[in-house]
Amino acid sequence: MKQILSFTLNGAPVDVIVTATETLLDVLREKLGVTGPKRGCDNGDCGTCTVLLDGEPVRSCLTIALTVAGRQVLTVEGLSPDGDLHPLQKAFHEHGAFQCGFCTPGMLMSAKALLDTNPNPSRVEIREYMSGNLCRCGSYEEVVEAIQAVAAGEYKE
Amino acid sequence: MKEVSYFAPTEVGEAAKLLAEYGDKAAILAGGTDLVAQLNYYEVKPAALLYIGGLGLDYVREKGGKLVIGAGTTTAHLLASDLVAQKFPVLAAAAATHGSPAVRTVATIGGNLGTASPAGDLIPPLMVMDADVILASVRGERAVPVKDFFTGPGETVRAADELIVEIQVPLLPGKAVFEKVGRRKAQVCSIVSAAVRLEMDGGVCKDARIVLGSMAPTPLRCPKAEGMLKGKAVDAALIAKCAAQAVAESDPIDDQRATAWYRQKAGTALVGRALTKAAGV
Repeated sequence: MKQILSFTLNGAPVDVIVTATETLLDVLREKLGVTGPKRGCDNGDCGTCTVLLDGEPVRSCLTIALTVAGRQVLTVEGLSPDGDLHPLQKAFHEHGAFQCGFCTPGMLMSAKALLDTNPNPSRVEIREYMSGNLCRCGSYEEVVEAIQAVAAGEYKE
Repeated sequence: MKEVSYFAPTEVGEAAKLLAEYGDKAAILAGGTDLVAQLNYYEVKPAALLYIGGLGLDYVREKGGKLVIGAGTTTAHLLASDLVAQKFPVLAAAAATHGSPAVRTVATIGGNLGTASPAGDLIPPLMVMDADVILASVRGERAVPVKDFFTGPGETVRAADELIVEIQVPLLPGKAVFEKVGRRKAQVCSIVSAAVRLEMDGGVCKDARIVLGSMAPTPLRCPKAEGMLKGKAVDAALIAKCAAQAVAESDPIDDQRATAWYRQKAGTALVGRALTKAAGV
């Protein structure tokens, strides 16, 4: 059964034809050309598919696309709509918070959701909130430091 | 491959009619954190997806001395609920270990029950409070005690035309504690988990519940261990005997996470730790 799915993607309305079992990750990458969110495991463990749904972090690989009808989706592309890097992106860059970069889209979306709900997190709170994002290159410490730097106001928008 | 249908009803009655029609050919979709992984890997091939997110089942209320939780309540909402924090804190303790932050945004308590993994994190807290699962179908509603809900790994008494709609939790007295151990500190399926509730009068135990997770084909009550505590003065020696008895009532296996031997050791330690905290000794 194909249906038209209408939702808001990075602030702009989108209509796309989808099937019942297509995930949000499938639709973003393969139908809409939005390849920021990555397919790392397709079962919700690695976190590189993480996007924000109505401001909250979700696994796009586990989200049936039709369930986001009428809702707001934010991907890493939406962090720099005019081409200027988001404070988190600048901080990740300057702190070396990625190596291969494969986990980075998910890391950034989780980090944004964290700072939106808790602008001044402790180190423990950062590590707990980011615990669903795995990094095969081991850049965890730099990720924490980058988030701390943004929280401390070192990267004004 | 035949195309899969998608339904997003807005009333439980509509959902019940769809389940009456499709039975087990419909997969019930809530947060999808178990189901969609199975779909992605072609482990299940339903004829229809029945999305229950629009049924208004995300709520936590107090009613008649019970905490009444909609089956569609997300783990994140359980963690944000003042009622849960005040009246059922052991559920919040377990919820904090459930999946990962992004999974908790959408995963539901009804889904945790429906998936029926012996490792389900939200289940032991429900069992130590003698909670009931409410099932709805075109034939009406029925209540099943959570302790009687599971028949095997991934299997429950839910009929193919039934929907889990609510969980009712009597606000039983005493202190309840949840413990869990896994291969890492976060985003883990438990190797062993334990929940206990002790109603104490001075140093004497009036009533006890001990539940083990990941130690049997289903989450497991340990009645012989519970019986060792009732009416007795609780001290470290009794706790140690009781923890050993609880594990003796279980049936752990070797799997990709741990061996049965390790589970027995860890289970004894976890039950002992939980009882010590619950008894305040």
